Amino acid sequence: MRRLSLVVIFIATIALTLSAQYQDRSKVTWIEPNSGAVLPEFDAFDSNEGTLGVVNASGPVKTEGHAFFTALGTNGRACVNCHQPTYGMSVSATALLERWKQTDGKDPVFAAFDGSNCPGLPQDKESSHSLLLKRGLFRIPLQWPPKNADGSPKPVEFSIEVVRDPAGCNTSPQFGLKSADPTISVYRRPRPAANLKYVVSGGRPIVLKTGMLADVDPETKSPVAMNLMSDAREATLQTQALSAIMGHEQAKVSPSRKQIEQIVEYESQVYAAQAAHIFGGPLAVPGGPAALGPVALRDHKAGVLGDNDYDPVFGSFNSWKGTDYYRASVARGADIFMFRQFWLRDTAHINSIGLGNPLKRTCATCHNAQMTGQDLSAGWVDVGTTNYPTWTEPATWADSSELPVFKITCSRDADPHPYLGRVIYTTDPGRALISGRCVDVGSIVMQQLRGLSARAPYFANGSAKTLREVVDFYDRRFDMKLTDGEKEDLINFLGVL
Amino acid sequence: MRYCFSFFIVAVVALGQQRNFVSCPIVRDTKTVPCFLAEYEGETYYLGIQQDITSEFHPPQLKHEVLVEGRVAAGPRVCGGIPLQPVTVSVLKEVNLACNTLLPAEPGIEAPPAPRGPGPSSRRAEPSRSRETFTGAHEFTVLYSFNDDYLEYAANQIVTEAAAYAKRIGASSVKVSGYGATTLLSNGDRLVEKAGLAEKRAQNMATLLRGLGVAGVTVSWKNEPEPGDGQTDASRRRVAILVTP
Repeated sequence: MRRLSLVVIFIATIALTLSAQYQDRSKVTWIEPNSGAVLPEFDAFDSNEGTLGVVNASGPVKTEGHAFFTALGTNGRACVNCHQPTYGMSVSATALLERWKQTDGKDPVFAAFDGSNCPGLPQDKESSHSLLLKRGLFRIPLQWPPKNADGSPKPVEFSIEVVRDPAGCNTSPQFGLKSADPTISVYRRPRPAANLKYVVSGGRPIVLKTGMLADVDPETKSPVAMNLMSDAREATLQTQALSAIMGHEQAKVSPSRKQIEQIVEYESQVYAAQAAHIFGGPLAVPGGPAALGPVALRDHKAGVLGDNDYDPVFGSFNSWKGTDYYRASVARGADIFMFRQFWLRDTAHINSIGLGNPLKRTCATCHNAQMTGQDLSAGWVDVGTTNYPTWTEPATWADSSELPVFKITCSRDADPHPYLGRVIYTTDPGRALISGRCVDVGSIVMQQLRGLSARAPYFANGSAKTLREVVDFYDRRFDMKLTDGEKEDLINFLGVL
Repeated sequence: MRYCFSFFIVAVVALGQQRNFVSCPIVRDTKTVPCFLAEYEGETYYLGIQQDITSEFHPPQLKHEVLVEGRVAAGPRVCGGIPLQPVTVSVLKEVNLACNTLLPAEPGIEAPPAPRGPGPSSRRAEPSRSRETFTGAHEFTVLYSFNDDYLEYAANQIVTEAAAYAKRIGASSVKVSGYGATTLLSNGDRLVEKAGLAEKRAQNMATLLRGLGVAGVTVSWKNEPEPGDGQTDASRRRVAILVTP
């Protein structure tokens, strides 16, 4: 009874505090293209465990005629369809299912091209969109083999074979690997289009993980961070925006330079993070952890390494130690994230880059960038979510998984995958589909850890429905031997980011 | 007493003796960072400890055999192994699932002091080194692991330095020369690097230098791997970058 009273008090406090700083827009859950809405400087939305805060650093945003909020292609979609402020500038699977029900599947987010399991399927059936509705996964069709900027095919180190194809797209004569335009379809979550100054910072001429030149900005020729998207295939926000309009929005005509710049300008000033928690109350308060809330993201410097004990990834949570049950749990979770040692094993592009296998370290070794927990160096890593046997699909053959399975066979001349060798079964080859390299099979660019409560499911393949499932995966994968209490602490910590 | 015994053992395996061998690495946990060891002819050798990406010693990897090229050093055993110093370890590329020995920490077995522990770093970032002060023609040498063309962090710094120097002096020529090598093992066998590696190392290096804005880069390589002498083989797996004003 006492705890219930505390919860009620917390919720009341949240409402009062947020009303002063944020406008109450909890009723708005979905922004449609061309809606004409004006987005305030400080915005707040109900999230799974409290309130997500969104800050437009440049002030209120008029969406009317704005390229991010306007359908620029042929399928009625705009950027906002898949990057909704309500959902941390991504979109949750729950929201997509609600949207399906509200619109009877007619919302442009369900466009046949990539909002269904395959364009050839009957589009009026819910089952044809199951990967999107259950896991929040969009189809990403990638040409195979990959091409250089001049259109020539890139050299590739492996052959690829489709061994399971529940959606039918990879074996489709029209859309598949053996079609006239050979294509691999993988299925991935849309990444948050917020907090991007952190995502694009830190470009260095030579990529630590490959010892090769980093991609460069086609306009400035400066090296880029290569942390955009699951596979780092786009160098800049500009090229990503163009590619998304021509692909996801199926535009027939290229957008203008002004439109691209407007999109990038908007994306570069929007910050999203958990602002309040149903048990934790308002998160960004004086004397509390300094990294919480979207304003902190707006104000903090990007590109700072946080894998240290004097200026950690998400700052100090010591002020919450010894306070109420929930905040104390979050503080313990922060300590687990920074300090709990375990054996990091068999992780390509971590153990294989000179650090040794195994490596006795902590979560912050890889999730080392301040404020977001990405990797400051180009961050594609094979943590094992997509490659057999550690993949997040059922351990043995089961019909319950709807993802395709590919068999990768590496050539004898190539360096094999460092821990899986020359024959790899995978649901998503990740970076390898872009680089053509065997060592990259299953490597996915690390994601930022902000606004998580608003945008389940997790991992690039949407396989973790909850933060508990994320923590369970890591506990299993690295034999962390977390207790139930430690798992709860870690989940609570992730939930306030 | 234990250390006295250790000195005796080192004397038996001949102080200063070069040990070149291939075996599975062994990881020994300690209260701090893990030690990396390898066994050869019934003896255990200490290779190094877990460090940071910026360190010169890059530990071996379980699931892979390791080529060890090191000299028996003076001093007591470390983590139960005879220390090799200097030592070069090369992770062999093919997966070997038999290489999977991870030993728990035991009382009395301690790792040497580590610049960085197993948790987050406690060291503040050091101020960046002053600009290179080379004059005249200068040759930069980048070393590689056996059968590898991956540019490790330290090598990465050398390339950056070479590029900066070439650009600063407006180099009239930058000659990149790639080499492969043979390692003469202690058992008399020879390990030869794969064909074409010298070219790949050289071409990759030239691409890097050009990408870093260096003009006038020319490339050559030696098709025949350098012969192994069992003493200096690790230093022959290299690319030389000769920068001439």
